[in-house]
Amino acid sequence: MNDARTEIYARIRGTATGASRQDIDSALHGLGSGPSAPLPSIEPCAAFLANVLLQGGSISTARSRKATVQAVAKYLFERHRTHKIAAGHDQRLAALPWRDAGLLPRFGAAGSNDAVSVSFAAAAVVETGSVILLTGKASPAANHLLVEDHIVLVDCEALLSTLDDATEWVGNLRHRPRGIQLISGPSSTADIGMTLVSGAHGPKRWHIILTGEIPAEAEEEARELAGLT
Amino acid sequence: MQVQSEDFIARAADALSDTAASANRRRLGLQLPAQREAAVATFGAFQSLRDHVESVRRHTLQHLDTYLDEFEQQALENGNQVHFARNGEELNQRVLSIIQRHSAKRVAKGKSMVTEETGLNAALEAAGLRVTETDLGEYIVQQAGEQPSHIVAPALHKPEADIRSLFYEKHPLGARDLDTAEDMVAEARRVLREEFLAADIGIIGANALVAESGYSMLVTNEGNGDLCANLPPVLVICTTVDRLLPRLSDAMSMLRLLVRSTTGQPITSYTSFYSGPARDGDIDGPRETHIVLLDNGRSDILASDYRSMLQCIRCGACLNHCPVYVAAGGHAYGSVYPGPMGSVLTPLLTSLEESHTLPNACTSCGRCEEVCPANIPLPQLLRDLRHAENEAQLLPTPVRLGLKAHAWLVQRPQLYRWLSGLFARSLSRLGRTHWLARRVPGMTDYLNTRDLPMPAKETFLAQLQREAENE
Ligand code: SF4
Repeated sequence: MNDARTEIYARIRGTATGASRQDIDSALHGLGSGPSAPLPSIEPCAAFLANVLLQGGSISTARSRKATVQAVAKYLFERHRTHKIAAGHDQRLAALPWRDAGLLPRFGAAGSNDAVSVSFAAAAVVETGSVILLTGKASPAANHLLVEDHIVLVDCEALLSTLDDATEWVGNLRHRPRGIQLISGPSSTADIGMTLVSGAHGPKRWHIILTGEIPAEAEEEARELAGLT
Repeated sequence: MQVQSEDFIARAADALSDTAASANRRRLGLQLPAQREAAVATFGAFQSLRDHVESVRRHTLQHLDTYLDEFEQQALENGNQVHFARNGEELNQRVLSIIQRHSAKRVAKGKSMVTEETGLNAALEAAGLRVTETDLGEYIVQQAGEQPSHIVAPALHKPEADIRSLFYEKHPLGARDLDTAEDMVAEARRVLREEFLAADIGIIGANALVAESGYSMLVTNEGNGDLCANLPPVLVICTTVDRLLPRLSDAMSMLRLLVRSTTGQPITSYTSFYSGPARDGDIDGPRETHIVLLDNGRSDILASDYRSMLQCIRCGACLNHCPVYVAAGGHAYGSVYPGPMGSVLTPLLTSLEESHTLPNACTSCGRCEEVCPANIPLPQLLRDLRHAENEAQLLPTPVRLGLKAHAWLVQRPQLYRWLSGLFARSLSRLGRTHWLARRVPGMTDYLNTRDLPMPAKETFLAQLQREAENE
């Protein structure tokens, strides 16, 4: 095994320029950065929600903590006629007034019997309509990979404009998470007859609730931008 | 890596007559290029994105030893075990010994072209393991005992009806119906869910490795790779030594390029970066993670004139835009990597002797180069390989002599013009009766699937001259 390592390194070194690390770094720096995608609106909330819709998600908005749990309850009742939901050990989730909406989340990792889970996004990216989840107690992977419906709460303060801002945000984290997951739609496949089907392995539906001080017309503008009105 | 590229022509002819399978390909050949084009137009500065990522890829390959070393250090610090494999057999052995150390029985695999290249499944199955491919397309192909026919859409060659029969044959379905694609996806979801939950080992590939932090990037729409990476207690990532990118920001730039070029989406449903095993207090994630880095000819390519081929980000755009691939299908190539990228890569990873027919499976239309996000000069690389083929005397004698005669003739313009004029006039005379369009001696097979255009009355050069005189 070490032979393999030594041999491979030797072969690759044979092709290298032998430049110093400093020169390599400055050459890389000199390459600058690549362009990002244009945003559908200059207003970040509407732009983010529009991209979520374009990625096959559904959206709602909530301007208070109470409205947030009510939005979750509404979704749960409409889709599943249930008040059961799984949630990670996330302090922000634990602090929500669930009882006000008649909900009783089960905190911990979702099992195969959980149909719906709710997560709180660590951040979200306007450019791609993605939510960022970091693995760990607050957001166990099972909660967003095993359920049928995945609801993600996104604080509008946590919106990052581009993937480059997301990179910077990751760079500023105090620890290096095991997994950084950008989720940007329901689990989908086109492997059978090139027909797009949702719910390949994970969520069939992906619902974003944007919370906080959101412009009144953001949701409507998003639907317009996504061509849904 | 196993190749059966010798009989490309026979396989391509078979594929052309299989109308059900070719319908999917024709759809792919229209739909995906249109989706890509729309995505490129919406993005706007796509060419500058391409150029930027290309410059980063080139830079990385130029200093690959530095970045590989940095990645290895970071990956070790993150708690991974890092392994190197010179060839496919070594990779298979490495993975097998990891699995055996855990006395594991069941393996759930995410899509990985690298392990297709090494034939890992066969090696693991020979050792008595149960290996399940979890990407839906790969799962279908595995159940059917076939090979993938596209690097991104492995089951492209399977018509819906075949998949339905396959599931009826392989799954205990009872009275359940599988009328629609949705039904079949739901059925596969049910079966694969159990595999994910019962797997002792998860194996995935990587779309990129980030040197500065030791993360590996995984891009899927299904989320199957993430299930493999998070549920089983042991994770093995199999990838190649050239997959490196210096920084996370480079991976993000590549992501923008990759997904738009593959499906026309701005981003896939799941884009994940994994650094290593679960941390203390985590309630999920693998307890042990391994990264196996395969060379298998990459360092040779790096040292050769074909280095730019290592810029490939495996998007599949060159396949979707290639008239030969769309007509003949992936299986005709007899190799894990089909289409233009495969026609360059396969001879480089194996030998020109084994696969010299592939660089000839090209009409030199240049579409692959136009769309390749990595700016790889594919037609030029294919030409270089054909040149090498000729130098190595691998062409059949009549073709070689024919090429020699042609070279001799084109160096004598007077004679060439006179002969081609004579040829054009005779063809045009024969063409008048219309039989030429369908019955050319020695070309019956070729003309089974197409009509020849009516021959022109004179050569292009003669037309040009006449027009110049008229002006
Ligand atoms: S050669 Fe270019 S177009 Fe083809 S798969 Fe690789 S990156 Fe994509």
